[in-house]
Amino acid sequence: MATNAATHQRIGSKALIAVWLLLVLIGAQGLWLRFVSGHQPAAYGSYVTWGLWVATYIYFAGISAGAYLLTSLVYVGKLRRFERFAPLGLFVAAITMMLALIAILVDLGHMGRFYYIFFRPNFSSMMAWMVWLYAAYTVLVLAQLRLALRPRLVEHSRDAGVRGRVARFLLAGRTDAAPEQLDADKRKLRLLAALGIPLVVTFSGGVGALFATVVAQPYWHTALYPIFFLTGAVVSGGALLLAAIAFLWPERDEALQSAIGSLASLVLAVLLFDLMLEWAEFSVAMWYGIGHQNAMMSRVLWGPYWYVFWVFHILIGSLIPIGILARHRRSSFALGIGGLLVAGAFMAVRLNIVIPALVEPQLKGLEEAYYDKRLVFEYLPTWFEWQVVFFVLAAGIALFYVGCRLLPVLNSSQFGESNEPRQH
Amino acid sequence: MQHELKRALQKPVAERKWVMVIDLRKCVGCHACTIGCVAENKLPPGVVYRPVIEEEFGTYPNVGRRFTPRPCMQCQNPPCVPVCPVNATWKRPDGVIIIDYDKCIGCRYCITACPYNARTFDFGEFFSDGTPSRAPYEEAPTFEYGKSRYRRNEQSPVGNARKCHFCLHRVEVGQLPMCATTCIGRATYFGDANDPDSLVSELIANPNVMRLKEELGTDPRVYYLT
Amino acid sequence: MNHDNTNLNDAEREGGGISRRDLLTGSLLGAGLGSAFLGGCSRANRVRDFAVGEDYVLNRPEHQILTSCLQCNTGCGIKVKTWEGVAVKIDGNPLAPHTMVPHMAYSTSPFDTGDIDGGICPKGHAGLQTAYDPYRLVKVLKRAGKRGENKWVTIDFRQAVREIVEGGKLFAHVPGEENRPVDGLRAIRAVTDAKVSKHLESEIKALTKVIKGIRKEKGPESDVRRAVDEFKEKNKEYLHLLIDPDRPDFGIKNNQFAFAWGRLKDGRGDFIKRFTLESFGSFNAHGHTTVCQGSLYFTGKAMSEQWEYDDKDHAVKWTKSDKFYWQADTGSAEFILFVGSSPFEANYGPPGRTARITEGLASGRLQYVVIDPRFSKTAAKAWKWLPNRPGTEGAIALALIRYVLEHEGQNSQFLSNANKAAAAQDGEPSWSNATWLVNIDEKGKPGKLVRSDEVGLEGPKPRTDDEGNAYDYPLFACLVNGKPTAVDPNDETTPIEGDLFVDGVVAGKRVKSALQLLKESAFEKTIEEWAQIAGVQASDLLEIGEKILKHGRKAVPDIHRGVSQHTNGFYNVLAWYSLAALLGNYDHQGGLSKSSAYSANGKKEGQPYPISSMSDGKIPSFGLSIIRHGVKYEDTTLFSEGYPSKRPFYPLSSDVYQEIIPSIGDQYPYPVKVLFFYMGSPVYALPAGHKLIEILSDVEKLPLFVCSDIVVGETSMYADYIFPDLTYLERWEFQGSHPSFPMKNQPIRQPAIPPMTDTTEVFGEQMPMSLESMLLAIAEEMGLPGFGPSGLGEGVNFTRPEHIYLKMVANVAAGDKPGDAVPDASDDEMDLFRAARAHLPKTVFDEQVWRDACGDEWWRKVVYVLNRGGRFQDAAKMYKGDKLANPYGKLLNLYCEKVADTKNSRTGQKFAGIARFFEPYVDSLGNQLNDEADGYTFKLITHREIFHTKSRTASNYWLLALMPDSSILMNKADADRLGLQDGEEVRLISPSNPEGEWDFGNGWKRPLVGTIKTLQGLRPGTITFPLGFGHWAYGSADIVVDGDTVKRDERRGKGIHANAAMRVDPALGNTPLSDPVGASVAFYDSMVKVAKEVR
Ligand SMILES: Nc1nc2c(c(=O)[nH]1)N[C@H]1C(S)=C(S)[C@@H](COP(=O)(O)OP(=O)(O)OC[C@H]3O[C@@H](n4cnc5c(=O)[nH]c(N)nc54)[C@H](O)[C@@H]3O)O[C@H]1N2
Ligand SMILES: Nc1nc2c(c(=O)[nH]1)N[C@H]1C(S)=C(S)[C@@H](COP(=O)(O)OP(=O)(O)OC[C@H]3O[C@@H](n4cnc5c(=O)[nH]c(N)nc54)[C@H](O)[C@@H]3O)O[C@H]1N2
Ligand code: SF4
Ligand code: SF4
Ligand code: SF4
Ligand code: SF4
Ligand code: SF4
Ligand SMILES: [Mo]
Repeated sequence: MATNAATHQRIGSKALIAVWLLLVLIGAQGLWLRFVSGHQPAAYGSYVTWGLWVATYIYFAGISAGAYLLTSLVYVGKLRRFERFAPLGLFVAAITMMLALIAILVDLGHMGRFYYIFFRPNFSSMMAWMVWLYAAYTVLVLAQLRLALRPRLVEHSRDAGVRGRVARFLLAGRTDAAPEQLDADKRKLRLLAALGIPLVVTFSGGVGALFATVVAQPYWHTALYPIFFLTGAVVSGGALLLAAIAFLWPERDEALQSAIGSLASLVLAVLLFDLMLEWAEFSVAMWYGIGHQNAMMSRVLWGPYWYVFWVFHILIGSLIPIGILARHRRSSFALGIGGLLVAGAFMAVRLNIVIPALVEPQLKGLEEAYYDKRLVFEYLPTWFEWQVVFFVLAAGIALFYVGCRLLPVLNSSQFGESNEPRQH
Repeated sequence: MQHELKRALQKPVAERKWVMVIDLRKCVGCHACTIGCVAENKLPPGVVYRPVIEEEFGTYPNVGRRFTPRPCMQCQNPPCVPVCPVNATWKRPDGVIIIDYDKCIGCRYCITACPYNARTFDFGEFFSDGTPSRAPYEEAPTFEYGKSRYRRNEQSPVGNARKCHFCLHRVEVGQLPMCATTCIGRATYFGDANDPDSLVSELIANPNVMRLKEELGTDPRVYYLT
Repeated sequence: MNHDNTNLNDAEREGGGISRRDLLTGSLLGAGLGSAFLGGCSRANRVRDFAVGEDYVLNRPEHQILTSCLQCNTGCGIKVKTWEGVAVKIDGNPLAPHTMVPHMAYSTSPFDTGDIDGGICPKGHAGLQTAYDPYRLVKVLKRAGKRGENKWVTIDFRQAVREIVEGGKLFAHVPGEENRPVDGLRAIRAVTDAKVSKHLESEIKALTKVIKGIRKEKGPESDVRRAVDEFKEKNKEYLHLLIDPDRPDFGIKNNQFAFAWGRLKDGRGDFIKRFTLESFGSFNAHGHTTVCQGSLYFTGKAMSEQWEYDDKDHAVKWTKSDKFYWQADTGSAEFILFVGSSPFEANYGPPGRTARITEGLASGRLQYVVIDPRFSKTAAKAWKWLPNRPGTEGAIALALIRYVLEHEGQNSQFLSNANKAAAAQDGEPSWSNATWLVNIDEKGKPGKLVRSDEVGLEGPKPRTDDEGNAYDYPLFACLVNGKPTAVDPNDETTPIEGDLFVDGVVAGKRVKSALQLLKESAFEKTIEEWAQIAGVQASDLLEIGEKILKHGRKAVPDIHRGVSQHTNGFYNVLAWYSLAALLGNYDHQGGLSKSSAYSANGKKEGQPYPISSMSDGKIPSFGLSIIRHGVKYEDTTLFSEGYPSKRPFYPLSSDVYQEIIPSIGDQYPYPVKVLFFYMGSPVYALPAGHKLIEILSDVEKLPLFVCSDIVVGETSMYADYIFPDLTYLERWEFQGSHPSFPMKNQPIRQPAIPPMTDTTEVFGEQMPMSLESMLLAIAEEMGLPGFGPSGLGEGVNFTRPEHIYLKMVANVAAGDKPGDAVPDASDDEMDLFRAARAHLPKTVFDEQVWRDACGDEWWRKVVYVLNRGGRFQDAAKMYKGDKLANPYGKLLNLYCEKVADTKNSRTGQKFAGIARFFEPYVDSLGNQLNDEADGYTFKLITHREIFHTKSRTASNYWLLALMPDSSILMNKADADRLGLQDGEEVRLISPSNPEGEWDFGNGWKRPLVGTIKTLQGLRPGTITFPLGFGHWAYGSADIVVDGDTVKRDERRGKGIHANAAMRVDPALGNTPLSDPVGASVAFYDSMVKVAKEVR
């Protein structure tokens, strides 16, 4: 039995590694192309000027914010039951943030100039704000993560191997694990979390505002957008966290079960709230079937890419997971799947935010005034763009894996003990 | 107009107020301005500063056609400027909204923010891509903003947002913008609205003047006569 | 407005990267977060300077070469701006009337025009893409597969020339042609001795005279045969030099060499004509006029026939006509009728005409009507649009003539002037034959003009010519206040003002005045009936009539292809020009103007180089041309076959493009052994061009086919050899002018950039491969007279193209009369001239060569002209009072006697001499085609977009960005009726192309399928497509050169070119329908089916 399970697991993990390697391969080629050919192989243009990568960026930024928000609530709200998951939450937040930043970095016309945002920022630009807030946020998340991991890092620091060295490096001498010290850490954590919550609320709302403040785009230009982004962040971040815990948490006890259940309920609730907001958003704009926004939203619903909304967002990302989250409350596997579906399909929501606004000409007839593949009001990402997204994903997986191996984010018993790379 | 322009150049830059007036009654939809601009600024595929929109109205036999050239409106309240995270685009004292190619990081936020689709992104492409050889005029520099820049190796302006700049490189040497000189319908006027004796000052005082999407409050410096 | 923060600019000047200010901002940032946010909202209005650099230099004259555009035939004056030897920008030359209104004074210094750009059209701007087309030919290509198979090898230039000259089994490497011998040019040029040629010419002329006499007397054909036999007997020793000894009028074998061209201008024209007509001795040099606006030109020719002594024929006859036409003086007219003419989109040409029209509209000077089935861009600004039924333009003109006559709105003063003296009395430069009497036969049909002695007046006047030969000058007749009076049209002393409407019997003869005949044509139908025929509202015609009366001489028709390119084209044109005569438009400011150019050929007094007569020996060319032009069927030996002639004759026109290749195909009148084609693409350009492919592919019918081209084009792809040519930015030409410009001008095309083609050696001189070097090399190889050392006469070499071109520039510099010469260029200008050409290699610009070619005394004047891009008359000088400074100034025929005296060679019927309405869509046998009855319910027409020129702009990617693809345009109502949606594919099927496809040969076919684009601005029942798309060569197809594939560029082959759906003349089988008089090809008559394409 046990050996059987082990072989299964080994086969499974081999398959996972194979998939990951494939992602790396495809992704690396994409990234290489990005460096040699710039933006040329991409499908976005001058009219639909933001595409998959920007969607990927807000997608991961959203997840990060959501994961962080939930984790910080744990500290601030002293939710003991969840406290052990907090490092994982922070870790997820940190990684997805990095992924978001990679996605947006490759999207720049001049990647080499990204740092200009720090040296010559324009604080009337929501984008400048975002980058600064991200920077602050990233620092905060990392600091928080370090604090949260400290007790176990102290344990690790006694190891001789890489893990020990990493732990010693991160601790930078602060190996004191006395209870008073831990309490102090916890207080600090709470403080940072208290600082972080408004920050993250600001920035995830800010991502919304980045779009919402664009007067030129009626589709974005609604006050609901920042709120929408916030709830979306919680849904997607919470869902990913749910999946991570459900699948990866090593100690499969009753407490875990109930924690997963609660998290699932939370995700479900916020998802429903999010859908309600969405309903408001669409119904208000579309009720009388006239107007500019109506036209764009109709295109989202009934246009050539209707399936993004209906199949990915509504069916796969909402209806099915709602069913699972509501009905299979006892199966952590099912809930994990539910979380994964919500989190994964949330990409559809992000795409439907970025793209539809841009496929409408600002002036009617512009599409026929001067022709070029960059001057069209339609968009379907190219394989190249997906490749780069795969790279981002692969990087995420790698970071997560390595993090889990080197850092004590999954409690004490170690994730993947049985499939140490050395064994292959 | 060229004399007026030279007159305006005598004044300090802050006292000039460049405006463009396009008389739609005289525009014949020839697109000379579009291509003249593309040629003048060596615009690559997908980058265009002044497309001309063609529309047909009515039902046979009562038919009408309208042609609307669309340069950058040089909004005095430009939605494209405040969104730039790195201050790479701004308003000059003479009212022209410029892009500093050396500062622009190519985030394209400004492109989404322009309510006239007047900004486009330079993807680094060439018209002779996919042909047996690269045409030499495409390798020649653009002189935008009076600086010669070669579109090589992803150097700026490749990777930048680009837009109409009222041909500052020409204007500052006393030439009218390309689209104004090559307008075969003589529908495009250019000049200094701060000069009460200029043709444009006279034209924009007409009751049949309108501006595109005036309701947005962008305060364009491009006027249309209808 | 601009009050804040303008002083931050110094840090910004530092160029790239991060400036000091940035760093400062960065470090201060932490503190400023909150306040910055608050400041965010107002940020949009912040103002900062941004210094403009000084790298832009294209406004400096040393970076500019002034030349002439040829992106379309208008040839606007342009300035080519160069940067490091590359043309980087093209703008208008402000000295040229095309690009600035009014254009700057010609005397303006080039140093003052550097930063003044004139306006040109989008095609003009895109010219860089023609010159720097990546698909350009730079070496000679020789066919390596079957004709049209797109397989080539590159071949040494001189080797190619040798092969063409010497012939042999040139294509032994092509399967199927292993043993096919090809006659070389040397063999074809049977007569090399000018004396022999002259002898034969006069012998054959004499024979023709005899034949004419026999035919006139209705003598038996056996008499003709006898005359021929006598000729043969007399010229026994020369018979082997004739194409067909039994038909000596075909001429010598040299005629089996044919040279044809599409777009050709002076300079190169002189080159080709010298080569073909004078050195090779072939009579077959033919251009493309009839595909363009043949019947406009040939109506102009018929109307401008003068009654004068011909010193070659030693007789008085209708002669000295001009092949030309008139257009409206757009800059001064008050009311224009644009009929089948689109000055905003096509025509000659948008930059010059549009500016004058929009100015007129804006100032209230001008209103205009557009008569066009399509709501063109011109129509967009029209006072009225009349979407007429295609081919009924003449009916509208006649309706308006009727209106004018009914309201007595005709300009009687002008019309009554019967001779020059009468005109002069009124200060009119021209006069007409409106009052002259015409004989009316017993059936009431008009015949010849009445000669004075026929009505009992003084007979022909005895005169002597310059050489002292005596001759008679017959006079015409008119009534003056009812009294018959003899008319000498050119009499400058006795004014004769005739009675306008004469219908009666004079001295026992039934006569009518020409104007009376015109009136009768117009009164054949009521205005309502004419409106019905034309498919327009009679009320519109009445309103237009009112306007016409109101504006009189400044109400003027401006007609173009939509009028001429029908089977009834000649009469449509004649009707409109007759209306213009009623209104007195000719030569008047705001009326009709003819083109006038500073002549370059040196025939004018004071010009130094009479190019065409400078030669070291010419061989005269004569005979029957393969297109049978300028000769009556009845005067040839072929007439023994009776009516109909096997293929049509065109006695009243020339350059009958559509006849060249089909006649070769039918070997009628005789086989052609080699065809050279220059800058033309009949396969693409002609209606039913697909029929030409069959002929061109047949090596038996056309043994050798040589093209000069800049790419492998739709026609040159069928060639045996293609010689690379220089584009318009690299070469010389004398553009001449157009009727749309009343001021005299002569834009000169000169090299502006280094040649892209390879260099070759001819006559020991280095030069780029080009049309000129090809002809020079052939001449060298064959030892042709008129070329080479002393080619231009003793001691005057013709070994380089510059040798004639610079002389021609000197002629232009000299002006059209003594005292008209331009000043010398100053020293500064000389330096500028050199500086601007510093990037040109010696193979095209060698100061010494240029200077020697035009002569020291002309050199500075030549530079003066070249520095200005040609020569242009000042705007201030284009009018003299209310008249044009460059008037037509001659007799104008309303009744065209020569036409009335000519028979259609296919029907044997005489042509009408006066404007009348004939239904269009008639085949060469005079049969009215009725395809509609067979379900072909759509009339197919075609039009131009401003941003494409014919087959030539597929390489202009900027233009493709404006319209990458073409569609078939259809009225929305028609589409709805057929259940067609925008973007749906349809196939065009016509009675002569029932499959609805292009067959490119070698099994390669393309369906005549295009997408539908619906619109309101098109007459229902009519469909149209823009010219310039649907290419299958020109870089749009893969070709193999030396075994390597040159990949196609898909962008160049988009859209549909529907010429193959146009009607083939059923009575000929390989030729489009044509106008038998003016020879226009019918572009707007075909009926087609539109079938939904199911794939
Ligand atoms: N459907 C449709 N067809 C039309 C018309 C229309 O309105 N509609 N218009 C007609 C009219 S008005 C005209 S004038 C004809 C014109 O018809 P053409 O006189 O036959 O020719 P172009 O289209 O000017 O093409 C000239 C060819 O010459 C070659 N060429 C281009 N540049 C150069 C050069 O610099 N040197 C040399 N040696 N060769 C060169 C190219 O192969 C090109 O295809 O087309 C007619 N065809
Ligand atoms: N952009 C551009 N300009 C050009 C050229 C070019 O290729 N492109 N070519 C140059 C040359 S060679 C020429 S010949 C001239 C031609 O210049 P135009 O003759 O002025 O132009 P087209 O477009 O051939 O035809 C003129 C108009 O006739 C209309 N038309 C079609 N069928 C009919 C009909 O049956 N009746 C009437 N009344 N109208 C009809 C068409 O809709 C079109 O608007 O343009 C010159 N300029
Ligand atoms: S694309 Fe350039 S100019 Fe536009 S917002 Fe981004 S950095 Fe600024
Ligand atoms: S038109 Fe667009 S790009 Fe131009 S200033 Fe206004 S917002 Fe900016
Ligand atoms: S002003 Fe200059 S940059 Fe702007 S549209 Fe006109 S030509 Fe182009
Ligand atoms: S160049 Fe002038 S007439 Fe032509 S499209 Fe532009 S604005 Fe209109
Ligand atoms: S009208 Fe013709 S000749 Fe003039 S600029 Fe345009 S393409 Fe050139
Ligand atoms: Mo033509």
